[in-house]
Amino acid sequence: MEQREFLNIIRAYRRRLDLAAFLKRLVFALGIGGGAGILLQTAALFVPMYYANVYTAVAILLAAASAVLVSLCRPGTMEQTALTMDAFGFKERIITAYENRREEGPLFVLQRADAMEQLKNHRDRIRIPLWPVWKKTALSAVLLAAAVALALIPSPAKDRTRELHRIRGEAGEKEEEIEEVLKQLEQLEEETLTPQQKAALEEMAESLRSSMAEYGQADSAQALQAAGDKLNYKYADMSSRMSDLAQSLRDGASASAMSAEAMQAMAEKMQEMSGRPSSGDRLASGQNGQSQSQGQGQGQNGQGQGQGQNGQSQSQGQGQGQNGQGQGQGQNGQGQGQNGHGQGQGAQGQGQSQSGQGQGAGRGTGTADLPHDYVSIPNAVADSGNLTGNVGDHSDSDYFRGQNGLSWEGTHMSHEAVIGNYERNAYEGIAAGRYPSGMESVIKDYFSSFN
Amino acid sequence: MSDQDKSRLQDPAYMAQRAADCEREIKKGIVGQEEVVRQVMLAMLTGGNVLLEGMPGLGKTRLVSTIGRVFDLSFKRIQFTPDLMPSDVTGTNIIVKSEQGNSFSFEPGPIFANLILADEINRATPKTQSALLEAMQEHTVTVGNESHVLGEPFFVLATQNPIENEGTYPLPEAQLDRFMFKILVRFPSKEELKDIVALTEGSRPQAIEKQMDGEGLLAARELIGQIPIADAVMEHLLDIVMATHAPNPHIREGASPRAAQALIRAARAKAFLEGRLNVSFQDVDEAAYPVLRHRILPSFDAISQGVSEDDIIRGILAAKRPQI
Repeated sequence: MEQREFLNIIRAYRRRLDLAAFLKRLVFALGIGGGAGILLQTAALFVPMYYANVYTAVAILLAAASAVLVSLCRPGTMEQTALTMDAFGFKERIITAYENRREEGPLFVLQRADAMEQLKNHRDRIRIPLWPVWKKTALSAVLLAAAVALALIPSPAKDRTRELHRIRGEAGEKEEEIEEVLKQLEQLEEETLTPQQKAALEEMAESLRSSMAEYGQADSAQALQAAGDKLNYKYADMSSRMSDLAQSLRDGASASAMSAEAMQAMAEKMQEMSGRPSSGDRLASGQNGQSQSQGQGQGQNGQGQGQGQNGQSQSQGQGQGQNGQGQGQGQNGQGQGQNGHGQGQGAQGQGQSQSGQGQGAGRGTGTADLPHDYVSIPNAVADSGNLTGNVGDHSDSDYFRGQNGLSWEGTHMSHEAVIGNYERNAYEGIAAGRYPSGMESVIKDYFSSFN
Repeated sequence: MSDQDKSRLQDPAYMAQRAADCEREIKKGIVGQEEVVRQVMLAMLTGGNVLLEGMPGLGKTRLVSTIGRVFDLSFKRIQFTPDLMPSDVTGTNIIVKSEQGNSFSFEPGPIFANLILADEINRATPKTQSALLEAMQEHTVTVGNESHVLGEPFFVLATQNPIENEGTYPLPEAQLDRFMFKILVRFPSKEELKDIVALTEGSRPQAIEKQMDGEGLLAARELIGQIPIADAVMEHLLDIVMATHAPNPHIREGASPRAAQALIRAARAKAFLEGRLNVSFQDVDEAAYPVLRHRILPSFDAISQGVSEDDIIRGILAAKRPQI
């Protein structure tokens, strides 16, 4: 009976010791977690780390979980408990009695009785604190508080990280959307399509992939906006082209009705995705050559319509269409291409109405036979001066207000940065041997003149 | 000890009380030196031999004679000198003339007593010193072809002077190891000195009374040998002994296994003297000094740096403090 009581006393203290050990481990673990949190949060002040708060929380939770796990896996033993109790002035009576609890010799019996008596008389001596020493607790609390405080401190890196995360999220959604469109485009490519039609579809797909890459590289709201604008334009453009394709499929004998319907449906979907007026209206106005009267969006449409118009203009009058083409060449100074088309249409539009001037995009440098994309022009050009007429030294070129043509918000760069980029590219070109011999010194002199 | 007392020889509480009475009685005749008295008591209770080291006049001889009286033991003092012969210690065979003719008869030496005070043992030659070896270890004396058993209990309390080294023969390690304890007898404080003078030069010296006899001492020794030791305490004890063999710039040679045996016995005896039937960490730590200090050979570094054996032991105990 007495022995059972003796063991029960030890068990009670063992529970308390286990709890104390758990709290000690927990405080230590939280301190470690807090320290890790401080490191993470400090890094997040300077380095973009969107999930720093999550990582900090995970570090603290992991530390706490490890404390729980260790406490569960390594509970205190009765021997350890007895030894701990002995440390409160029992001079190893309790551990000796516990270890020899099954011995029956007279000396062992006496020793156990002595231990029990001492335990009964002086049990109040045993004071096992539950909480670790206050300094350790305070240190852990300070570390945790510091981690939380650091998490609340704003910093440019954090703002930038949040912004970047939002941009990446939106870009990701757009990329998925483009992926979906690409899949649908692939499904449209049937054997019944002519090589030209297939090439047109492939061109659209390539253009979309280009947009996808732009989204993938977008690291600012402006870049995202620009990519979005371009994509919307592309959608509208593609919608128009696909409507035309669908129409030609309907007219043609070889294509299946299914393809035409699917293509028309795709065109309508793209139109919706572009966030522009319905294709019916647009096409109608485009055919009338009056579409560019309504702002930038429609100005962008101008090109799509231009192409449509081009076809129409050719049916109405070749002269104008050719005229447009020629102007496009003149503008680019390089010849053909999408821009040439655009310009041609612009001219056509101009010829028919006032709208075709959206050919600010013709300022771009695309070439006719290569996959191309649309470029933006600086505001300085788009907003400068008259809607028509010659600007600057380009006496043979017309500049138009970007609102009516292909234009996006330009990005601002410092003069030094621009010069620096040019200079770096030039020197890389020299190193790669891209320039005719003798020109290297001219290029170097040119750039050194800036310095 | 009366008949009634003899019936209680197996009663641990009673015997512990008697041992405590003995210690108290010894302290009546020895002023101060409480640690020395305690350690000598431990050796007495475990049957160990003691080497007392201290300056002359610190009461070593008085201590031994007091112990003899308290325990009612036969007491012999042997003054070791360079010309002392082994037979002067052990005894010798002498020719006895009788009506039947001449015959050899063994004449016991002074070692045939319960309590031997080997005064200034380091002044005798190694040959004579070694005569004590068998007696100390085996409790027998061999003269010629005949071995003579010494009476129990048998203790040797040897003394040596730490400073007068000229003309001395330092005890070899093998013989030092036979001593359970090496006890340092320190100079008393002024207060203690005043009490010593009052005790020895006063008109009425304290009467020392017998508290226990040899039989009681042997019974106590048997009880002490049964005192349980917890595993953790035993681990601690062995760790201490093993630590003397761990790489240590101050130790040239560590303690022998006999040191562990002596440490166990001493720790048990200390617990018994304090009325406990179990050994504590503290018992082991306190017994470590007299048990180990003559069993550790300090290195040249330790000697040159003035690091004593006690300093080394203190370091070991600090390093091996039980982690609870």
